[in-house]
Amino acid sequence: MDAADLELRNATYRLFVQGGRAPTAAETAKAAGIDVPSVHAGWRQLHDAHALVLSTSAMELRMANPFSAVPTAHRVHAAGRWWYANCAWDAFGICAALHADGRIESSCPDCGEPLAVEVKDGRPGDDRLLYHCLVPAARWWDDIVFT
Amino acid sequence: MNLFRSEEHIERWLGGRPAGVTLPGARLSELAQAWWGDRLDPGWRPHSVQQNQEILERLSLTGDFWRLPAV
Repeated sequence: MDAADLELRNATYRLFVQGGRAPTAAETAKAAGIDVPSVHAGWRQLHDAHALVLSTSAMELRMANPFSAVPTAHRVHAAGRWWYANCAWDAFGICAALHADGRIESSCPDCGEPLAVEVKDGRPGDDRLLYHCLVPAARWWDDIVFT
Repeated sequence: MNLFRSEEHIERWLGGRPAGVTLPGARLSELAQAWWGDRLDPGWRPHSVQQNQEILERLSLTGDFWRLPAV
C-alpha cells in the first residue's frame, strides 16, 4: 500500500464518518482531487489489501471496516448518529474507532429477540451477552461478508 | 460474528455444526478497542499480520482458531 493508496483510504474513511454513509466514487474523487477512474483503481488496490471491501456487483463500497455501507442486523448509535456494523465485533469497533460511547442494537440469531447493549468507556453495560465467532481467523477473509 | 442471549441459544443456533469460539461481551469490546481503535487516526497505517496476532495474544486469544494466515 503506497502513499497514494493511504491518502485515498483516509479520504474515503473521512467522508464516510463525516457523511454517515459510504461515499460514492465521484464524491471521493472530488474530495481527493483525483478522477473517478483513479478512485476505482485505488479502491481495487485497497480491497485487495483488505483495507476496505467493495461490492461484488458494482464499484461501490460494501465495507469500510468496521462500518458497513449497507444495512445489517447490527446497528450502532454513536457520535450523534446511527451506523451499520458488519458484525457484532465491528459494532463494538465503531464505538472504538469513533472513541465514543454508544448503543448497539442487534438480535439473537437463534430466537430473533432484539438485543441492545450500551457501551460506555469501552465496556458493555450488560455482562450477560455472549459473542460467538464461528469462522477461524485463518479463514476470515475467504468470505468476509459471511464471516 | 453475532451476539447471543446465552450458551443455550448458541447451541441451538449451531444446530450440530462445529462450534467456533464464544467470548463474553466485555472481552469482545476489549478486542474491538485494540483492533479498531486506530482506524480513524489521520496517521493510520495498516496493521501487519504480526501486529494483529499480537493483539489477539495480548487478550489471550491463542491457539489454532486465532492463528491468522500469513499474507
